[in-house]
Amino acid sequence: MEVTQDLSFITLIGNASVLVQLVMGLLLLVSLLSWWYIFQKMFAVRLTLKQSVIFEQAFWSHDDLDVLYRNALSSRENAGSLERIFAAGFEEFTKLKRKSGMDVSAVMDGTRRAMRATYQREMDHLESHLSFLATVGSVSPYVGLFGTVWGIMNAFRGLANVGQATLAHVAPGIAEALVATAMGLFAAIPAVVAYNRYSHEIDRLSTRFESFMEEFSNVLQRQP
Amino acid sequence: MEMTYRQPYRTPAAALALLVHTLFFALLYFGVGWRSEQPQGMVVDIWDALPEAAPASVAEPAPPEPAPVEPPKPVVKEVAAPKPEPVKAEIQLKDKKKPIEKVVEVKKPVEVAKPVPPKVTETMKAEQAAKAEMERVRAERAAAEAAQAAANGRVVDEFVAKIVAKIRRNIVLPPDVPDNAKAEFDVTLLPGGSVLSTKLARSSGHVAYDSAVERAILKSQPLPLPTDVSLFKRFRDLHLGFKPVE
Repeated sequence: MEVTQDLSFITLIGNASVLVQLVMGLLLLVSLLSWWYIFQKMFAVRLTLKQSVIFEQAFWSHDDLDVLYRNALSSRENAGSLERIFAAGFEEFTKLKRKSGMDVSAVMDGTRRAMRATYQREMDHLESHLSFLATVGSVSPYVGLFGTVWGIMNAFRGLANVGQATLAHVAPGIAEALVATAMGLFAAIPAVVAYNRYSHEIDRLSTRFESFMEEFSNVLQRQP
Repeated sequence: MEMTYRQPYRTPAAALALLVHTLFFALLYFGVGWRSEQPQGMVVDIWDALPEAAPASVAEPAPPEPAPVEPPKPVVKEVAAPKPEPVKAEIQLKDKKKPIEKVVEVKKPVEVAKPVPPKVTETMKAEQAAKAEMERVRAERAAAEAAQAAANGRVVDEFVAKIVAKIRRNIVLPPDVPDNAKAEFDVTLLPGGSVLSTKLARSSGHVAYDSAVERAILKSQPLPLPTDVSLFKRFRDLHLGFKPVE
């Protein structure tokens, strides 16, 4: 086994065995993906929060629900989650109201169902890819560890052929192998942090949506 | 009711993810240098002046030509900058001497500087001044070397005297040794001061005295040696003479 003098980062990766290099490549890919999702979630959550604040302000300052509904429809592509929930509820409410002979509780049940369906869809959209972050956070350290164990096994097998074993014979191999663990941790730590943070923020958003739905139901019930 | 979700942040997110990784690897690559080799010591010579006269004196008969190669040292370039009047050039050179002093150069700068071709407007006066400067530097170097050699010689003498004194202390004089008996030994030393071998070079004529000296030499191990390892070669083979009375 060749004893390398230069333990720079590139040589460490370049000298590793094929399997360890594969593991490193996989981890790099996973890390890139998870960071992509992290930034996507960051923008999405931030945008949703901003749109919710704006819509709630508009909702509580306007008395005319028709105007709000028309606004929501005209800007459907740009509408926030809360605006879409409102639009679905209001649409269902007006449809049911036009039908004569329905009592109030039936109208309100239909409206709630419509809003809940939209709410579920919005939550699903917000929570997409979060499970990927959770998986990366829990699995990628093990993947890195697997690469490390494999690399260290190889380093010790190389040691068996050497008559006089010194630390210098195994050290480069172990250093190479440990890069895999480092990369696994590098992928895992941000993913775990992001997962915890975004699941918490999405929880808060969902509470907000649910309370809005209740309040909006009350407002509709008061409608003549 | 199917909803389409706009995702305007896909591309920026991907760009940011790439940026994070690039930054991280750049940090690892440039910031962390795991190197197991020891930094090599650098040998430097301290020069009073740059030996810029060397190329001039070598190529003196050749007619001055435009320099095709840029001189390696900026200091040389400044001296060789085009000067229309010779007098001014000399003044310029004298002015330049001050900052040139104490320039730290890598060893053997003379060989390094040799390929520099002569400059277009170098005047004879400048050349001569530079040559004189070079002579002075050479003389100083020779003097320094001589001083070093003398200092080494002093150290060698001092330690030979110490060795002889130590051995002499260990000699147990047998009776009836004539005062003029002189035993001479060739002693071979090992680094560290132990005696590899002793050989009687010239007997004193008194066998008991010869063997007493030999025993004293062996008993005196380790012999005192200077701490400077480079001087050891002058102690490897010693020729020592001992008289009962000095």
